[in-house]
Amino acid sequence: MTELAQAVVNGLQMGFLYALVAVGLTIIWGLMEMINFAHGEFLMLGMFGAWWLSATLHLDPLLAIVPIALVMYVFGVLVYRQLMRRVQGGDPFTQIFATIGLLFLLQNAVVAGFTSDYRFVNDTLLQRLSGAKLTVLGIMFAVPLLLAAGLALLLFLILYLVIERTEFGLALQATSEDRDAARLVGIRPQRMFAVAWGLGAALVAIAGAILVNFFSVFPQVGFPFTVLAYAIVALGGFGSILGTLLAALLVGVIQSVTVVYLPPAFKDAFVFASYLVIGLLRPQGLFGRF
Amino acid sequence: MARIALVIGALLAIVYPIPLQIRGTTYYETVGFLVLLNAMLGLGWNVIGGWAGQFDFGPQVFFAVGAYTAALLYVKLGVDAWLGLPVAAVFAALVCAVLTYPLTRLRGHYFAISTVAIWMIAQPIGATWEFIGAAQGLFIPVKPRSNVLASALALQFTGPTKALGYYYAALVLFAVTLGLMAWVERSKLGFYFRAIRDDQEAAEGIGIDSRLYKVIARSLTAAVFGAAGVLYAFWALSVFPEQALELNWSTLPIMATVVGGIGRLWGPVLGAVILIPISQVMSTTLGAGPLAGRGIDLIVYGLVIIVIAAFRPTGLLSLPWSRWFGRQRASVASADCS
Repeated sequence: MTELAQAVVNGLQMGFLYALVAVGLTIIWGLMEMINFAHGEFLMLGMFGAWWLSATLHLDPLLAIVPIALVMYVFGVLVYRQLMRRVQGGDPFTQIFATIGLLFLLQNAVVAGFTSDYRFVNDTLLQRLSGAKLTVLGIMFAVPLLLAAGLALLLFLILYLVIERTEFGLALQATSEDRDAARLVGIRPQRMFAVAWGLGAALVAIAGAILVNFFSVFPQVGFPFTVLAYAIVALGGFGSILGTLLAALLVGVIQSVTVVYLPPAFKDAFVFASYLVIGLLRPQGLFGRF
Repeated sequence: MARIALVIGALLAIVYPIPLQIRGTTYYETVGFLVLLNAMLGLGWNVIGGWAGQFDFGPQVFFAVGAYTAALLYVKLGVDAWLGLPVAAVFAALVCAVLTYPLTRLRGHYFAISTVAIWMIAQPIGATWEFIGAAQGLFIPVKPRSNVLASALALQFTGPTKALGYYYAALVLFAVTLGLMAWVERSKLGFYFRAIRDDQEAAEGIGIDSRLYKVIARSLTAAVFGAAGVLYAFWALSVFPEQALELNWSTLPIMATVVGGIGRLWGPVLGAVILIPISQVMSTTLGAGPLAGRGIDLIVYGLVIIVIAAFRPTGLLSLPWSRWFGRQRASVASADCS
């Protein structure tokens, strides 16, 4: 019983990190309805940025969040302006192709620059706490993971408030709802899309800077996170920020509970099996409103 | 004009390995094998992706189903590859039909992700199922054959004729696939597929069961992938999960199809002829230099796809070739007259 409870707790902590990876996609895909198969490559760039800043300037990944987020915001805007704007109007397939091309380009540009070696960021603030554990009712909470989860939750809250409670967030939602009507009331849709891509890229890069505390860094690290993020966003319900968070927690728990009973290879299989079951029974996702 | 190009292309495809074989450089025969294999896969993907308009990111599952079926038949029952191949293709199509029917409730991006989901579930099954060799997979032993004809009949070529033998085997399978697809394109099936792609509601309005025809389209794709899987397994002499379920079995054919022209019969063929040799040529020109093995070929793929998607998403074949080419011909003809 304790084992199961421990698995659930571990899963929840991982789930917060997944939520952070998926939330950028909620904005680009869920809210703005554009597809990005290079999402995991944005994450990988964030992770490499954190590794590089730590290796050259000895900047802690937690502090590196600020420059990485700024650079990746600009990068996301550029990707939209230079590439995605061209393919936005046409066949939805074209967006898939363009971002698959981007996936190949980014992933292998990093291979060309840094090789496919695994890299580790050592001696970070969070890792120094790695021995520290909190035990409540016989269940262990690893302090670094707990802090990361807290950070993820904080970012999520801020984003939720920005999207749901500010004028900017309403403009973003209005653009996704009806582009022409948004233009009539003085919103510039192109600009909203660019901001959404910038925000999405910055958020997933922040996730990358936090993940380097727990995962090794290599150019191919992104794709598994991409597919997981798509499953999470679809599970949570299109464009629902809170739904994404809950779905990510669910995915974390499914993974860690699966591993208690089955070989570790199956942990993603059960996530996707639940995606299929829920997708077929409730196509609007668990928490989607439409 | 197109007919002449077809005849020249077919002749080139048949004849080009012969001087290579005489000189003893079989490397470019293997390149040809990979081009044909990916062209065949692209032709298969074009059915579900190009004609039926459903984005399928998981056909590699049926590549694996085909490869494993024929390998199991050969290893456990001693059934030769050419007999196992149709069985494997049909079996892959059946598995696909059963798996895909529920998925056809989903549309657009959701369908695409559900095909990825099936692939994600297939991977641990392949890696842990003892009957099919789990993570080690199956080893396909080569039985000694008395002559080339016996090798060809068993799809097992060894020694100096290995590359040549598999090249021609791939050419035969490719030609059969191309013929089948040329027929599908003009048949009622092909028109139904494109009707669903262009307007699903309207297609249903005139009585087309869209779910049924999506399943048929993807099963055709699966049959082609299954057959190609058999060929690849006997070429590689083994099947194991990481190889047979590799994502490249869908990304490369998809990219070839897009570059050549999605939804056009010859699109995947042209795309494969352009894209696949890039990777092989790169690895020879970069040699052991500092950039060898650094994914330069994949950077080129990425750039090509991005440029195509941004400027000509309907592919190279959709460029007004006949106009350019026709005008040139006309001017030559008038020059002849004067």
